[in-house]
Amino acid sequence: MILQIENVHKSYQNHVALKNINLEIEKGSIFGLLGPNGAGKTSLIRILTSITESDSGTILFNGIPLSSNDIYKMGYLPEERGLYKKMTVKDQLLYFAELKGLSNSIAKQKLKYWIDKFEIRNWLDKKVEELSKGMQQKVQFIATVLHEPELIILDEPFSGFDPINAQLLVDEILQLKQNGSTIIFSTHRMDSVELLCDNFALINQSELVLKGDLKSIKQQFKKNQFQITYTGETLQSDEFLKVESDTNSDGINNSIISLVQTKTNNELLMHLLNKGISIHTFGEKLPSMEEIFIMAVQQKHIQHA
Amino acid sequence: MHKIWLICKREYLTRVKKKSFLVMTLLSPLLIVLFYGIIFYFSFNRDLAEEKKIILVSDATGLFSGKLENTKTITFSFEQLTDPLAKNLLKAENAYGVLFINQKDSIINYDLLANEQPGLNTLSAIEEKLENVVKSNKLAAKGIDKTVLKEINDTHVNVSTRKNTEDGYEKGNSGVTTMIGFLGAFLIYFFIFLYGVQVMKGVIEEKTNRIVEVIISSVKPFQLMMGKITGIALVGLTQFIIWVALVLLLSGPVSSLVMNLQHVEPSAITANGQETLSQAKEIGAAGILSELGNFNYVLIIGLFIFYFIGGYLFYGALFAAVGSAVDNETDTQQFMMPITLPLIFSIAIAQSIINAPNSSLSVWLSMIPFSSPVIMMVRLPFGIPTSEIIASMLCMIIGFVGTVWFAGRIYRIGILTYGKKPTYKELFKWLFRKN
Repeated sequence: MILQIENVHKSYQNHVALKNINLEIEKGSIFGLLGPNGAGKTSLIRILTSITESDSGTILFNGIPLSSNDIYKMGYLPEERGLYKKMTVKDQLLYFAELKGLSNSIAKQKLKYWIDKFEIRNWLDKKVEELSKGMQQKVQFIATVLHEPELIILDEPFSGFDPINAQLLVDEILQLKQNGSTIIFSTHRMDSVELLCDNFALINQSELVLKGDLKSIKQQFKKNQFQITYTGETLQSDEFLKVESDTNSDGINNSIISLVQTKTNNELLMHLLNKGISIHTFGEKLPSMEEIFIMAVQQKHIQHA
Repeated sequence: MHKIWLICKREYLTRVKKKSFLVMTLLSPLLIVLFYGIIFYFSFNRDLAEEKKIILVSDATGLFSGKLENTKTITFSFEQLTDPLAKNLLKAENAYGVLFINQKDSIINYDLLANEQPGLNTLSAIEEKLENVVKSNKLAAKGIDKTVLKEINDTHVNVSTRKNTEDGYEKGNSGVTTMIGFLGAFLIYFFIFLYGVQVMKGVIEEKTNRIVEVIISSVKPFQLMMGKITGIALVGLTQFIIWVALVLLLSGPVSSLVMNLQHVEPSAITANGQETLSQAKEIGAAGILSELGNFNYVLIIGLFIFYFIGGYLFYGALFAAVGSAVDNETDTQQFMMPITLPLIFSIAIAQSIINAPNSSLSVWLSMIPFSSPVIMMVRLPFGIPTSEIIASMLCMIIGFVGTVWFAGRIYRIGILTYGKKPTYKELFKWLFRKN
């Protein structure tokens, strides 16, 4: 475990930002911190990066209580990007690296890798204000990871990126993971990082709603639904299945069906084959992160009530 | 310390490397000289700004006819007119106005009819000429000759001053002393304002761009604030040193130029400036230059640098606190007021301090760190007891340690607080809040 967050509580003057949060983040994993705007994600990140302190609770970094020196092992990309507009890209990156404890010469060496990777050689002596938004994002990302932190915290990293650059970023993040870094994604666009993350935590209204790895969460929330595309007579609900939705385009039906609880998957397949329709695809439909989020929040409400 | 140094270096280099820094450093002394030059030029040559005016004088008393002296801009011409006739004349001819002079019993009435409300200059010029005539009439009635009076009026007494010092006497000159005092005070005032506002803007930039969030995790808020304040202070000192170097470099050619001009100037003297200039001539340009050599420059410049740094740190910390408390520059107004007010007050009161450099008011104001940087500069050339200087410097040091602490407390909370502009009450709470 690189991070163990135990009973962390934080309140501001008029409201509670975090209520007794317990989380563990595995070393070398990609962790998704999900939740709507204002849920408390940024409050938690600010505590992890020592920008603010929690009211109570402990945070262990590599098993030892978080200390001010651990900051140098972290890289934080804030949601609203922070760069000096009037400084050149090069000066800026070196400055941030030096503040993170790197010497000037080492910082210059490390910068070389990223200059090639993100093809920014021609931009080094330009002022940040002359760059496009996507370009500024790249610079900010380099500033975050230049000192090769063990823990990288990315707050809404993909906003402002076009698909090509977003992919470039994803590749780099996977590369960083391969090199042993742990990455925390914080985002309210839950589907955007679903495929990247090993583990998740869902936060809503300052409370931890759900945590776990992707597979088991999806299994936990699956509703025994199947997606089926076929041609032939339109399916009707019966003793094996319940049709949740059915659309037809260009003669092909696209249907979501629920399995009746007493039956198994194989029985359903047999039943469908006997119906005389021609099946193109058949697969289990797992809920999206957003659907899971909504379900989890509803469950929590029921528990509270 | 290493962090403060890094931040300080960045603040310094980004500012000094800018082209505008070099341009402003070289241009602003020129601009200031030009600015004051124009003001002085126009105040000595008021006529330049005025158009030529013809005033028709309808004198019913007959006391003034032919005796009113024309000025550079006003020409008097005498005609007997009535009100309606004058109205027509003002419309038809290019006369500026009609001056009616009537006498009722022993009181003379002067009434100027013009197409517009006459300016103060015009009015006082006319009044002066009328007074001259009335005066000389009265003198003549009392049997006093004009030339005799002029002789009496031309008497001037000049008191030369010597300052009693431990190793004898020091020749003094109140005019030059005042000049040096004002110059130092003005520079300090100017520097504190200029660079204090830069600190504030820098803080706001870091806050609104969320740069703080990136760096605050690796540096303490106090380090960030001190790095910024010292970096900008060094920019100010650099600018000052460049100016001093420029003055030293240019003072040779310029003073010889001034000497040459001195010989030409008497012919260009205007009527108004005659008296002051004739006085100045007695001291002479050489005199002023020799007086300038009489001051203890090591002390003055040394204390200037001390009060510049002290006063700047004192106010700069407060400016940083203001910057951290708000989200944008428009919100700063409310918090700027209490900071700028004492500064403006001290430069405004400098005139009274110069008239009484060692009064108890002056002494107290040079102890209070809010006003001491400016006030001490004003008083310094007049001579201040060493004990007072030390007391004032101690107060200054205590003062800026105090404001830096105060600002640091506000800054650490403010820099990460967004949204609604805080109230004074909230700021006060921030002072004592734990992290």
